[in-house]
Amino acid sequence: MRAFLRAVFWLSVGLPLFLSAQTSCKDLIPTCRDAYMENFGWDGRYWRAELYGGETSEIYYTFFRGIRYRLIPCGSSSTKAPLHIRLYNANRTLLLDTRQQGDRAYWDLELSTTQLLLIELYYPSGDGCAALLIGHRAPMEASTRQ
Amino acid sequence: MDFVVKAVKKLSLNEWGSKFLAIFPLTIWLAACTDAPKESSLQSSQDTLYAIPWEEVQAYMKAAPSPLQVAAWLKQEKVSFIREALHDPTLATKYGGIQGAATLGIYLTDMAYAYSTQHYQEAYEYLSSVNRLAARYGVDDILSVDRIRLLEKLQDRPDSAQKLLSQYYGEMQQRLEETGQQVMLRHMILGGWIESLHLTLALLEKEPQKQQLAEMITLQKSLIPLLIKLYSIDTAATASSRQVIQHLLSIQESINTVVSESTDNRPVTKVEKGVIQMQFTSKATGLSAQQLHLLKRPVSELRQYMIKV
Repeated sequence: MRAFLRAVFWLSVGLPLFLSAQTSCKDLIPTCRDAYMENFGWDGRYWRAELYGGETSEIYYTFFRGIRYRLIPCGSSSTKAPLHIRLYNANRTLLLDTRQQGDRAYWDLELSTTQLLLIELYYPSGDGCAALLIGHRAPMEASTRQ
Repeated sequence: MDFVVKAVKKLSLNEWGSKFLAIFPLTIWLAACTDAPKESSLQSSQDTLYAIPWEEVQAYMKAAPSPLQVAAWLKQEKVSFIREALHDPTLATKYGGIQGAATLGIYLTDMAYAYSTQHYQEAYEYLSSVNRLAARYGVDDILSVDRIRLLEKLQDRPDSAQKLLSQYYGEMQQRLEETGQQVMLRHMILGGWIESLHLTLALLEKEPQKQQLAEMITLQKSLIPLLIKLYSIDTAATASSRQVIQHLLSIQESINTVVSESTDNRPVTKVEKGVIQMQFTSKATGLSAQQLHLLKRPVSELRQYMIKV
């Protein structure tokens, strides 16, 4: 009986907290989009995950030569640590860790040849939700608008 | 119907393309009255759940470039328009089930390609077919009459229209996922992917001087293993999944024969003011007519498997 009551207690406390974490992570996406997407095209797709105890989230994405991409890591962690990105090639060789490049709200990326890359999202400390938005535009568009 | 007529009157018809666009909302509205699809072996197949968490499936699911992304790249490469390479848009009513979802991906790619090469009339024909098929999966409101009108208004601003189409595509994926139609989403992605490969080969054949398009072929060396995983991780391994895997393995074999480059590319990376530039040393090598022929066969076989009526 005690075990049952304990289960009910944790469900009643834990479930709303879990759902609220899910919702708040989803709610962050329009905020990040409005703040940082600017004149990049966005296909409406995003990736979202809850990261606990050093977990990471992985995304494969095809990047075309001649197109500039905007990577917007979007999330909030329990320690207020920023969300970082590691970029790997298709063979999982690390190409770049944004943590080594300082804290930024977004990163623009250009490749000299079309490649499939693996993107890993992680928090250096703490738990939290993590999402990624990827915008794209032709470099020519950038120069005509500036 | 009145709103369609009013919308048509309000439009300024400067060219033949605009005239077609003016009647397009009506076309879309009529398209909703579709015939029931005939059942084929692929249509009647049921797919299944995955043995791994959805987050992991997602990592593979979104690896293939979206039709809009491929179209943006083709536009950048200034390719020509090859109508005969595209799938017949009038067959939309013949499809349903997972075959319909795959064909939806094919039509989306054809539409995006026609749009990016400024063949607006053809683009809207494909949009009509997309709308017909989308109705089968409850996502046709994403391409509603109002939204089509918005696209029409952006006709002289193709980049903005392209962004809007990208957004609609993303919403479609999101909706399929949220309504428990992940299996359909997987087939839509596969359909979009095979059509982009088929188109690239057709373009390389017609415009052999555009050898930079061969990058799309080199890319497949990394991409196909992920697609094979995507079809290997469903729990029941249905006949259609096994069939798709066989086709993917054939394509992979041909690609490995033609492309010798390693996928272990390490670029020189420069980061400045938040811009990351990766300079890869390896470049895609061109393809001979013979190599193209070798690749076309398995690609065409998978495409035919998806679109046969």
